[in-house]
Amino acid sequence: MEFLVTTVDETYNIGEQIGSLVNSGDIICLIGDLGTGKTHLTKGIARGLGIEDNITSPTFTIVNEYTGRLRLYHFDVYRVNDPNEIEAIGFDEYIFSDGVSVIEWANYIEELIPPNNLTITIEKDLQIGDNYRKISIEYSDKRYDYIKGIKL
Amino acid sequence: MKILSIDSATESATCAILDDNKVLGEITFNYKKQHSQILMPIIDELFNNTGMNISDIDAFVASKGPGSFTGLRIGMATIKGLSQGTKKPFVTVSTLDSLAYNLAYTGGVICPILDALRDNVYTALYTFKNCELDRISDYVNISIDDLINTLAHKNCNISFVGDGVLKFKEKLIANLPNVIFAPAHLNLARATSLGELGLKLLSNGTFDDLYASVPIYLRKPQAEREYEEKMRQKKNE
Repeated sequence: MEFLVTTVDETYNIGEQIGSLVNSGDIICLIGDLGTGKTHLTKGIARGLGIEDNITSPTFTIVNEYTGRLRLYHFDVYRVNDPNEIEAIGFDEYIFSDGVSVIEWANYIEELIPPNNLTITIEKDLQIGDNYRKISIEYSDKRYDYIKGIKL
Repeated sequence: MKILSIDSATESATCAILDDNKVLGEITFNYKKQHSQILMPIIDELFNNTGMNISDIDAFVASKGPGSFTGLRIGMATIKGLSQGTKKPFVTVSTLDSLAYNLAYTGGVICPILDALRDNVYTALYTFKNCELDRISDYVNISIDDLINTLAHKNCNISFVGDGVLKFKEKLIANLPNVIFAPAHLNLARATSLGELGLKLLSNGTFDDLYASVPIYLRKPQAEREYEEKMRQKKNE
């Protein structure tokens, strides 16, 4: 599934729709270069979950926790050099819990990501426009079929 | 000797006060991990209802794992803090030992299993010899299938205890003969069981070093994980 967006608001809006649909135990992987809007998408997801807090990227804390309709665990593993490091903070206990996990730069810790995840890849194309983004959503587990209900 | 013991390695948040002869009190909640919020109030409650305070405690017992990463650190930090503040010794005991001890005097092999996620369990094997708990294997983190293979040729009863039972009971019944499961009231980590084992160690003069003592997390070595990942990818190809 693909969305072509041209503004940050559209990215946020997709996030918000995802956030309103996610279920307990969902694992959302966000993949994309710096400045593609991974955190903006997460802000939308948090809003969709009814979380009022200001969401900031947990680049240094690795994980931030929020409480909304469900618990949200927001990971940013950009700084993680070795999957062992993230495992040592009890990663499994977060992602296999009742909450929803959003993992920025999930591709850095591929070996720890279970197959039943929702992967969202955000790509720029500067030739088309500075704010142009292609948001691709992939999953193999039927649990994420709610994604089909998302509209731009 | 009066001791305070805490086990927060699993979903169970449990604290107890024991002396050499009896259990003076125990409070256990086996409902949703909320250790950081309820552990201190539980300790407070124990003191209030036994008319004791922290200065009546001669030593402390904590779980050294394996188990939940966060839970272990909460329990360990709590006990280390109390030990350092009161200048009283502490000792750590594995939650696997205490779970096995829940089934004291059971014949055959006792096999505590804790859910280590991704179809793995933390486990060790025990027997009761001359009324003493005897651990007959290392503490390991292995897949449930490997554990079943290990136990397949045992021709005695195997008694399972621990939160892994909730997840793997059907599988164990289907793949092993002679399996027995702990009844619910024994199928959880209890600070009395941990405390009693700790008390024996403390009475023998065994205690942990405040700065050197760390939980056993039993993470799989990276090489092993990479191998598993490789196998998984191969299977998907």
